[in-house]
Amino acid sequence: MRGMLATMDRELRAYFFSPLGWVVATGFLFFQGLSFQTIVDFLTDPRAPGMTPLDFFFGGTLFYWLTLLFVAPVLTMRLLSEERSQGTLEMLLTAPVTETQVVLGKFFGALAFYVFLWVPTLVYALLLERHLDLDWGPIGSAYLGTLGIGALFLSVGIFVSGLTRSQIVAAIGSFALLFLLFLPAFLEFLVNDPLLQSIVDYTNLYSHMDEFSKGIVDSRRLIYYLSGTVFFLFLTSRALEAGKGR
Amino acid sequence: MLEAHGLTRRFGDFVAVRDVGFDIQEGEILGMLGPNGAGKTTTIRMLTGYLPPTEGRITVAGHDLEDDSLAARKEIGYLPENVALYPEMRVEEYLRYRARLEGVAGSEIDEALDEVVGQTLIGEVRSQIIGTLSKGFRQRVGLAAAILHRPRVLILDEPTVGLDPKQIIAIRELIRELGENHTLLLSSHILPEVEHLCHRVLIIDKGRIVDQGTPAALRERWRGNSLVRVTLKGDPEDASRGLGAVPGVVDVRRDDESPGRWILEGDRDADLREPVFRTAVDRGWVLLELVEEKASLEDIFVRLTTEERVEAQADDGSAEESGLPEESPGPTGSDETAEGETTETEDEKEETS
Repeated sequence: MRGMLATMDRELRAYFFSPLGWVVATGFLFFQGLSFQTIVDFLTDPRAPGMTPLDFFFGGTLFYWLTLLFVAPVLTMRLLSEERSQGTLEMLLTAPVTETQVVLGKFFGALAFYVFLWVPTLVYALLLERHLDLDWGPIGSAYLGTLGIGALFLSVGIFVSGLTRSQIVAAIGSFALLFLLFLPAFLEFLVNDPLLQSIVDYTNLYSHMDEFSKGIVDSRRLIYYLSGTVFFLFLTSRALEAGKGR
Repeated sequence: MLEAHGLTRRFGDFVAVRDVGFDIQEGEILGMLGPNGAGKTTTIRMLTGYLPPTEGRITVAGHDLEDDSLAARKEIGYLPENVALYPEMRVEEYLRYRARLEGVAGSEIDEALDEVVGQTLIGEVRSQIIGTLSKGFRQRVGLAAAILHRPRVLILDEPTVGLDPKQIIAIRELIRELGENHTLLLSSHILPEVEHLCHRVLIIDKGRIVDQGTPAALRERWRGNSLVRVTLKGDPEDASRGLGAVPGVVDVRRDDESPGRWILEGDRDADLREPVFRTAVDRGWVLLELVEEKASLEDIFVRLTTEERVEAQADDGSAEESGLPEESPGPTGSDETAEGETTETEDEKEETS
């Protein structure tokens, strides 16, 4: 616990004290702002369907998915690969803390920064509230889904970062793996086999977010994200242990 | 305090460390000496829990390193060979992080920090960013971090590599002080360092312990024939003949570097100084210098590790690449030979292992 908190604290500081954290935050908010602006423009047209902008904002556009697919690898790429290339991993793994504590600390540090990235988007909801009668329920569930998918993506990023000493390789590798995770969204209408269809349904992140932003909280989705996250973090911790001294 | 039994580590077919066993008593300073690539760092990485041994057991202060790993690791303070710090952090911030990681209680962190900062003399860089520090200060910060949690065993891997001579002296002084209240394991390929600091020395070559003992005992066991250095004023021809006739002298060599200087070799236990003096008096030589050469650990070390190689070459008949240490066995066995040299090659080697 103590080792986990110390690591989390350090990682969180590292985001705020490094240019990388601010570059990511700036890019993220720029694209979220652009996304919101575009959606609002579109919906103010009289011919547009009668929906609120936030139905689209969470997962309804490529803005959302592309940013997530980029942000997670960039936030996680240095977490373990840098420790390895810098040589600080030796210090970390000979300190009286377990590999699991180290991995969890890094994960929660990244997750906390991810949450920090999303907090300013609450402004959009507050802006809308002045003009519309907003239902906060679906907004809450959309944020919940965003958190769950974020956790899953970050755990994948950490896993790949733990396998290499190069940050670039880590970023590209986790982007590829995340793309694979997102693949079911493309296959939704392209499979006929009922078994495959059910697998695609279960893992289709796009349709999951569609549900979340309508206020539907399906516990199967949350279990999928949570178990995926735990699985990848477990793999990372095992990989660290097996790769000791290398 | 620290016990190692039958440590063996293989990397594929390569045996980096072979059946190494030793123990360190409480308060002892043990030196581990060996040429580059002898297996020192591999051994140390096993002792600190970074590298699991292929075979063998390690106990630290009664805790088994495998079964009771966290408790054992808590007792160890470790300064790795390439002191790796986070370049973007400030010194104080880094030490605070390490203190928490090493399990120093929150209320004691400030006190522990002040103590180690004072001990390692890093007060002036306390709020500086680590990336801007000199190598000497980085080494100190690494040491400070290693002793923060008051470990009972301190393991230092090549603590003076890459420092300039002034920094080396300062770090050695610091190690000596730390040795007063820690059990200490020090690895080095620099002989004078080990000879001056350590109570006991293990000589490692090709992954095996070739000999161990106190520096004095090793010197006694491995010293060769007695050597005397003489400087004479006068005709070299006459001196050469006269010195060869001194009773007990087996060999006479001329020191090419300084005129009139000779190296005399005698039997193992002979003291040649008196007969040389008498001869000089009889022949009316002007004696400028008469010194008995003591075999340094360096000579012993070179002898031990090269004999091994000669044997190995004879065994398989292959011309093995000679991995002699960079310090050549200077004829004077001077204490401060080429010790400031950086060993980049070893760094690279460690990287690939």
